[in-house]
Amino acid sequence: MADRVLLRFMTVTDYEEEEQFLREQHKEGWKLCKYWLPGFYFFDQCEPEDVVYRLDFEQADQCGKTEYLQLYYDYGWEYLFEVNGFTYFRKQAGSEEEEPEIFSDNESRIEMVERVFRRRMIPLLIVFFTCVVPQLVIQFFNWQGGNTSAKGFVIFFTVFFFLYLYLFIHCGQKIRWLKRKYMKE
Amino acid sequence: MQERIKRIYVPMTETGFYILYCLREEMHGYNIGQRVGQMTGGEVNISPGTMYGTLSKMEKDGLIRFVREEEKRKLYVITELGWEVLNIELHRIERLYKNSKGEYVYGG
Repeated sequence: MADRVLLRFMTVTDYEEEEQFLREQHKEGWKLCKYWLPGFYFFDQCEPEDVVYRLDFEQADQCGKTEYLQLYYDYGWEYLFEVNGFTYFRKQAGSEEEEPEIFSDNESRIEMVERVFRRRMIPLLIVFFTCVVPQLVIQFFNWQGGNTSAKGFVIFFTVFFFLYLYLFIHCGQKIRWLKRKYMKE
Repeated sequence: MQERIKRIYVPMTETGFYILYCLREEMHGYNIGQRVGQMTGGEVNISPGTMYGTLSKMEKDGLIRFVREEEKRKLYVITELGWEVLNIELHRIERLYKNSKGEYVYGG
């Protein structure tokens, strides 16, 4: 089992913060070995080193996975695992003059943001409008109509409603911010 | 040539140009990256995520095609459509270069 477990909640648009967080942990002598949703980071103790962590999102399909990982390996990146569509890589910093990066131009950085939006945000929006909102309305009227057992559902879907709303606002702003940043750089 | 492809690819990004240019001969992603590094004295670097994404996109759009696999590495080569795009781009770069030196293209 891992030597240390930390709980951090990161949304799909917080991957840069996640990379920074993992790098800082490694600098303090904790290397990432496992990650479980929704936010359990498992670390093993190691020599404190400056290691760069990078996350890529759903670039290769299953049949192209081997070649995809081989390419990263050739470039000196260590593959860790894949969670929720994100592939985790790490590489020693400082051996080169420039910071190791998995993307070398802004087009590909923007494409990654757009992939995250298309494949993670849009499905959430669909669930929100076809399930959470209608269910909340239906259960609310059931409850008002005298069905007391509907109260629990109203509370349940209200919690979900605000959780989703928070996610949409947070991720929406983050996506805009990321895209702007990459366009300027 | 398909107008859509032309609209998307011309003018090319630096990454796109070097990848397509290198694929005049059969190569895999990491090879291309190294070749570009040598050609440009390290001024242009193509990282693996960008390399993989660009190769996939170019293959999908028919600019390059998959030739064979060698030790888990995919080798690609330029297609006829790829050549058309590359030639347009080479002509554009040549014009830019000549104009930047004060020369007129076609003798002005």
